[in-house]
Amino acid sequence: MTFRTRLLLIFSLTVVIAVVFVGAIVSTTTRRAFERLDEQRVAALTAQFRQEFLRRQREIARQVKDIAQADTTRDMVIGLTRPDAGASAYYEAAQPVATAHNLDFLELVSGNGSIVSSAQWPARFDYHEDWVTRRQDWDTQEPFLKREELPSDTALALVAVRMAQVADSKLYVIGGQALDREFLSTFVLPAGMRALLYREPQSVIDASGPVPQTAALAPLINEIRQRRTDLTRTVNWSGDAAGAETFHGIPLIGPDNELMGAFLVGSSRREQVGLERFLRRVEILVAAGGILLAVLVTFWTTARITRPVEALAAGARAVAGGDWHAQVDVRSGDEIGALAAAFNQMTGELLEQRDRLVQAERVAAWRELARRLAHELKNPLFPLQITVENLQRARATHPEQFDEVFRESTATLLAELGILRGIIGRFSDFAKMPPPRLETVDLNGLVRDSLKLFEAQMQAAGVELGLELAPDLRAIQADPSQLGRAVQNLVLNAIDAMPSGGRLTVRTIAKESGVRLEVADTGQGLTQEECDRLFTPYYTTKTHGTGLGLAIVQSVVSDHGGKIAVRSEPGKGATFTIDLH
Amino acid sequence: MRPSAWLPLAAVSALAVCGGAIRPRYGGTLRVEMRAAPAALDANTPEASPLAALVFEPLLRLDETGTPQPCLAVSWQHEGTGKRWQFNLRPGVKLHDGTQMTPGDVASALQAALPGLAATANGEAVIIRAERGLSSLLLDLAHTRLVSTGPFRVSAFEPGRRVTLAANQDYWDGRPFLDGIDVQLGRPLRDQLVDLELGKTDFAEIAPADLRRASEHGRAVWSSSPVNLLALQFTPGRAEDPRLREALALAIDRAAMHNVLLQKQGEATAALLPQWLSGYAFAFPAAQDLGRARALAGSLPPAARTLTLTYDPAVRAARSLAERVAVNARDAGLAVQVSSQAAQADVRLVEVRIRSLDAARAMVEVAAALALEAPPFVATTAALYEAEHQLLEGRRVIPLFHLPDLYGAGSRVRVFAPPAVTRLGYWRFDQVWLAVKPSGTAP
Repeated sequence: MTFRTRLLLIFSLTVVIAVVFVGAIVSTTTRRAFERLDEQRVAALTAQFRQEFLRRQREIARQVKDIAQADTTRDMVIGLTRPDAGASAYYEAAQPVATAHNLDFLELVSGNGSIVSSAQWPARFDYHEDWVTRRQDWDTQEPFLKREELPSDTALALVAVRMAQVADSKLYVIGGQALDREFLSTFVLPAGMRALLYREPQSVIDASGPVPQTAALAPLINEIRQRRTDLTRTVNWSGDAAGAETFHGIPLIGPDNELMGAFLVGSSRREQVGLERFLRRVEILVAAGGILLAVLVTFWTTARITRPVEALAAGARAVAGGDWHAQVDVRSGDEIGALAAAFNQMTGELLEQRDRLVQAERVAAWRELARRLAHELKNPLFPLQITVENLQRARATHPEQFDEVFRESTATLLAELGILRGIIGRFSDFAKMPPPRLETVDLNGLVRDSLKLFEAQMQAAGVELGLELAPDLRAIQADPSQLGRAVQNLVLNAIDAMPSGGRLTVRTIAKESGVRLEVADTGQGLTQEECDRLFTPYYTTKTHGTGLGLAIVQSVVSDHGGKIAVRSEPGKGATFTIDLH
Repeated sequence: MRPSAWLPLAAVSALAVCGGAIRPRYGGTLRVEMRAAPAALDANTPEASPLAALVFEPLLRLDETGTPQPCLAVSWQHEGTGKRWQFNLRPGVKLHDGTQMTPGDVASALQAALPGLAATANGEAVIIRAERGLSSLLLDLAHTRLVSTGPFRVSAFEPGRRVTLAANQDYWDGRPFLDGIDVQLGRPLRDQLVDLELGKTDFAEIAPADLRRASEHGRAVWSSSPVNLLALQFTPGRAEDPRLREALALAIDRAAMHNVLLQKQGEATAALLPQWLSGYAFAFPAAQDLGRARALAGSLPPAARTLTLTYDPAVRAARSLAERVAVNARDAGLAVQVSSQAAQADVRLVEVRIRSLDAARAMVEVAAALALEAPPFVATTAALYEAEHQLLEGRRVIPLFHLPDLYGAGSRVRVFAPPAVTRLGYWRFDQVWLAVKPSGTAP
């Protein structure tokens, strides 16, 4: 992973973590604010409900009392004392009175509990409401909740009972109002809130009518039924969290402590969830923007930071590639600048060191050349000196034998001079290696031809030949004379390496990019240092030799655009490899 | 002056001697309102029958006992087999167009109204022949109005809205006291009552529940005999289980409805024909038997204990009666849903009018109106009872009440020779006159 990528990741991660952290704080704060607001609104609505309930209780009590004390009611009480009086005379009396007093329900019940007139269900005349006759203290009783039977359904009513009495004759006035849509419509509901009324056994209404699909409210209602206390629960209408509502339920208890229904204040979580989702979207957008900004900033920053580093890396790579002149152009005054200056200083010193090394190597080479030349020339010079001294001595001491000595000595001198000429010629040849004349060459044939020259020598030295020539080897462009000479040098080198006999393996290999020639011996092998210096001119491991053979081979291979290498370990022979295209 | 015109005038003179309070006077227009809104004023259209009785006349009338009395025919006789009758027409009777009524006019009208007969003019008489015996011919003729010779003639008619009648100056029984009658058609009962209370009308139909209000402030209430049968009629193909029908029949508390909702008007009944007509209606038990009803309802599967009951809002007290039936049914364990809109109701609250003073004829008509099997035309009361018993045996019809027509008459309306409404509910406004109200008097 690059330094720039790493920086980018760090920046992006920092931005994302910061955004998520801030988002979480904002979401939590918002949720708490919403919850507080919800609590306040629910508290306001429940207070409104209780106030309205109380107001209605007072109003109903007042209206029913007014009806009970009205003259027409007293007339009715008197009228009911007549023998044939009853519902027939007052059957329709309740309805107009109920309308006039703004009551939804009104029943006029005689002293024996028989309904004289019913506003809400006129057909129930003469039926009995026995519960009303069981107590006589109705005038002091507060209005209470009652389940009111109607022709088609059951209503939840807030009713009051008052008595009209003339002498011993009584008339119970049972009046009330329905807790229904109209009751719910009196509440001022903030946006996102609604008021529901649950009526036993399973009816739920709101200000617009019956509420469909209220199964989700069942757990809350069951809990209210069991605990008979205010409860707040969240109701999920669907899988979508935005559709959930928080409900606060107030139980509506009847006079005998039975649950008659419940007032439910619902607060939609849609707005809250919507805001949370909006915040989340904003978080994502900010995070994405932050990441984008981080990328841009990182690019800019890392460019500033990594440019000198990359320049340093490039310089290092150039140095590694052999460009000892590589310099890093960094002008900053920070640590990177110091590093670049140190790098430049290092390459400068390396360059100077290399120059010094080259110089030393040149000196060493010249010394080696001088040593070689001295060594090579010293051998023939000593016989020359001896021969000349013999001539001088023979002239001085044995003039009669001088001629004979002279003939012998001159022959020796000529022979030694020939050797000198040969030495000089080999040096001259190496110095004047001609450029190759390329033509199509069959490497396998060239190898076979070269090996024929050494058959007798190998036999004499006890060297066994192993020839492994690739049958599908393609022809190459080469100078057959120079390449043959290189092969011969390698073969000769191998034979020399196995004075006690061994195995010489010559192998050609077809490669995708060209051909390979391998010459391997089973001689004593080379050390790593010897391998490193093996192709240096005038370097030899043999007691006799000019040290130019492998240098010539390397020169030929190089002129053909190929590569030569050697791998060897002491005691395990050596293998020379030539790759040609 | 014709002898027929002498009688009212003589009576008026006699009354004038007795005292001014009951002295009849000529003049004035009687304002009448009615629910029906006939589109035509035919002689025998049931919807227009009260009005038609003022305009058209039959050959003869039935008196309160059902005995034929002369009308356009002054006498009649028949041959021994009863297949040939001769009706001698009243002389000097003029049609409303001013022409003399002829035997040919009557014969033509008879031929059109009763196609099964052969009526021909013969001098001043009309001869009626038939292949079968004409034992009920007099009843048929009494119920068939023939020609426009009545005490009032139509002077204007707006179909469905208003009829204006003018006194027939040439009426053979003497000019009526009223100059005319202004009839508003299609007026709801509630509006009629209000108009009666406000003095905007002199004569209005009233519902039983309004009886008390209608009779206040010097107003009179006139009624016919109980001629309207209120009954529950099961829709064919529905409520097929007889236990269900019987449970409903036994659950109904007719007495409470009669006392309260109908203000004791008419009579509670379990028979098709009223007691005054058949004489045996009491033999059909109408009392509630809630125990038996509950037992029957309990024997039904729960899903079969529900019924839909519909009613015609135009029928008097129909809604309150239907709701009370539902309350009673609920006590028996039946769920009855009441609606005025249910097209496919299981049971309907219907009203059937008795239009004949002959019980056998009335039975046939009622059975036809209730889609019951046509009973035999029988002559004896025992046979009639048996026939009715068989009609009601399956309880496809549950009779509830026989109600009279009820009318409220304004305080200025007087009747010279009561009744102004006949037993069958026909109006006799030729005997009605209007008193002059003292100035400042309330209606």
